[in-house]
Amino acid sequence: MQRRRRSRWPLFGSALGVAVLLATSACTVDVPTEDDNNDGGGADGTSMLLAADNGSPTFERNFNPYSPGKRTTTTLIYEPLFVTNTLDGTETPFLASEKEQPDPATVIFTIREDVTWSDGEEFTPDDVVFTFDLLKEFPALDTNGVWALIESIEVDGQDVVIHLTGDNVPAAAIIQKTIIVPEHLWADVEDPTTYTNEDPVGTGPYALGEFTPNEYTLERNEDYWQVENVAAQELILPASNTQLDVVNNGYDWAYAFMSDVENTWVAAAEGNTYWFPPGGTIALFPNLTMAPFDNPEFRLGLSAALDRDRIAEVAEEGYVDAAGMSGLLLPNQEAFLNPDLPDGGAVAQDVDAALAHFEAAGYTMSGDQLVDSAGTPLALTLTTPNGWTDWLRGATEVQTQLAAVGIEVTLNQPQPAAYQQELQNGNFQLSMGSFGGTGSIYEDYNRLLSSEFLQPVGTTTTANFQRYSDPDTDALLAELRVTLDEARQLEIAHELQTIMFEQAPVISMFYGGLWGLFSEANFTGWPSAEDPYASPATWDANPLLVLTNIEAAG
Amino acid sequence: MRYVLRKIGLLLLTLWAAVTLNFFLPRMMPGSPTDAAIAKLAQNGPVSPATRAAIEAQLGVPTGNIGDQYVTYLGNVLTLDFGVSYTFFPQSVSELVLTALPWTLVMVGVVTIVAFVLGTLLGVLAAWKRGTFLDSLPTLTGTFTSAFPYFWTALLLLFFLGYVLQWFPTSGAYSARATPNLSLEFIADAAYHAVLPAVTILITSLGGWILGMRNTMINTLGDDYVTFAEANGLAPRAVALKYAARNAILPNLTGFGLALGGVVGGSLLVERVFNYPGVGYLLYNAVTNQDFPLMQALFLMITVSVLVANFIVDVLYGYLDPRTRR
Repeated sequence: MQRRRRSRWPLFGSALGVAVLLATSACTVDVPTEDDNNDGGGADGTSMLLAADNGSPTFERNFNPYSPGKRTTTTLIYEPLFVTNTLDGTETPFLASEKEQPDPATVIFTIREDVTWSDGEEFTPDDVVFTFDLLKEFPALDTNGVWALIESIEVDGQDVVIHLTGDNVPAAAIIQKTIIVPEHLWADVEDPTTYTNEDPVGTGPYALGEFTPNEYTLERNEDYWQVENVAAQELILPASNTQLDVVNNGYDWAYAFMSDVENTWVAAAEGNTYWFPPGGTIALFPNLTMAPFDNPEFRLGLSAALDRDRIAEVAEEGYVDAAGMSGLLLPNQEAFLNPDLPDGGAVAQDVDAALAHFEAAGYTMSGDQLVDSAGTPLALTLTTPNGWTDWLRGATEVQTQLAAVGIEVTLNQPQPAAYQQELQNGNFQLSMGSFGGTGSIYEDYNRLLSSEFLQPVGTTTTANFQRYSDPDTDALLAELRVTLDEARQLEIAHELQTIMFEQAPVISMFYGGLWGLFSEANFTGWPSAEDPYASPATWDANPLLVLTNIEAAG
Repeated sequence: MRYVLRKIGLLLLTLWAAVTLNFFLPRMMPGSPTDAAIAKLAQNGPVSPATRAAIEAQLGVPTGNIGDQYVTYLGNVLTLDFGVSYTFFPQSVSELVLTALPWTLVMVGVVTIVAFVLGTLLGVLAAWKRGTFLDSLPTLTGTFTSAFPYFWTALLLLFFLGYVLQWFPTSGAYSARATPNLSLEFIADAAYHAVLPAVTILITSLGGWILGMRNTMINTLGDDYVTFAEANGLAPRAVALKYAARNAILPNLTGFGLALGGVVGGSLLVERVFNYPGVGYLLYNAVTNQDFPLMQALFLMITVSVLVANFIVDVLYGYLDPRTRR
């Protein structure tokens, strides 16, 4: 069953051949193709090589699902109540078989029966309640903030009834992400915040196999409640997943931005495919507390001045699309798109329109510079994190394009931690930023636009970094939070898009891609544009969807 | 003796200064460990506001009066207690350092010694055979390779020998399924994995030793006592090694002491390129993640080893060359 790794010693002759070839063709380099090393998944085809967990550079044995330093695959060993497809918000029941919201302040999860922990103990609704109580006792574990939403929780037969702190329809989507741990083992853990849980026992499709600092395996849990849907018998997770490794070693599933993907990944082996759907929107965040960004006309001017296709092309090698101003991820969230938005919210570059907007905001062209009424040329600073090269390329392109409408842009590149601090404190003029991608319309817009996150410049906020505040938007978000009426939810979603389009609280530019690399040599049924049942992301609960949907090839 | 005592006093003073700088420098960096953690998460998608609070609670980021923090820190340094790493939470810093240290010590350490010995010998040879092929080849190559940047050499080797020819593994310190132990098989495996990073360091450091040795040696060869030894009809080899090289090696020895001290810091870029689990990579992780406890422990270790190496060289020099004792 163990997949044989490619021998590192190739035939000396072929090496000599390549050396000669190198000597004769100085600038073209012949990279090895997969012929010599694609030993596939072995005869049974059920072993999967996965680039889903990055050792830095080796693995620490930490399978505590609430620890920030946990092994990424911990979420294949443990399960949540429901898994949300972050692309479009569709939900798949896992440890809960059903959920019901009898009123906006109550959620009832019906817990699945006949599920066992991987040590043979029975899984019960008490485990669910125990888990939530654990998060209450140790707030450091509560990374989703569920106890800001929950008032109380109780078991009722096979149901777990959750009473919310108030009317809150979107709360269920957050609560159901909670990873459930076994009471019979975790009740004895003294300090679960520093617990490393070296021998994890969960309900999920996989259990820990061998573990070494450079590589570990996950073995299929043969007692898993939907074991018939789990095609891969064994997952192999190496610690090192550099782009060279990914191309060289014949991975079945990897998550990596790959430059020139056709000629590197796809060309490397028969059956290699990729899918890069949008996972978030990369936007310019204007600091709305200062002029000229506090004027919507000015923001619309910036929006009209940008050639988004070009920015997307430059930043991400054309692997993602330009983003419209609706704030939605398209085509994932097409179903929520407001049909009244012109061009589906897309804004084409229109310099005349941009200048008209700028003029309405009090800026006019003087020579080749945009000047205010006093004749002072406009100069802006754009902040982007150091080392995020794709964002930097996008920011440089923005700089060039805005120069064409007379705006001088200086780039500011703090280290990522400092960038994060500046963003949160509002210490910027224009900043690169991203939003969206939770799968929940409410969550996405609420974090972007709600004044509940409003803080003065200089004080840390955790969302709404551009510091947008509008009573009408707040009222819509408040209603979206409490209404169970799906038609009304859609109407509100449409209205929020209109606000995004007309007010331009942020200026969307292009989508942040999810870089899924797949091989169909050993497994088929990977998520794709035709069948977007899950995101290609290898972290959080998403792999549960993928690994219970794929099938062994041939 | 007074000379040694004076040197010890100086050592203690520099140590205190280093420890103090070590405490304040990370705290002067913009952004907090929580910001670093969130920036990292943000690369994978949006971070929920609740996550920030949980991360802060979990890391237990230092708070309170900076003076109190400093006193606690000094106490912890004296007891070698560096706390828990933020990046590899909840691993203890000492544990992490102890895991990484052997890899660096062996790989970088052995290469440093080999480069020094080989380079010095080649330098002696070049100076002795001055003007011949044996001089121009090592000297020219040395001049050339010592100008290569570490990471660039590493990337070249990685690409050609690791990726195109696939002669050597491209990352890690040992095979995937192996667990570190002292069996011959494992040592061979580890040595095989160390080839590319080791060769990188060798290529870029050898030239310095060759050139340094060659140039002082040529000076020494012009000295009267060497001419005198030659005139007395001593064997050329004895003149070269016992008379000239023995005196010419002093500056190289100083460099060697410092290089050995620097081994502890690892070779950050080389280890990063080859995913080598040594101290350099650990340092890279610590700095990029604003991991104060880990950073402090590593910087301190590096400073202390360089200072101690410097001290030993100083004392040694005092005996080898009495003029310095004044």
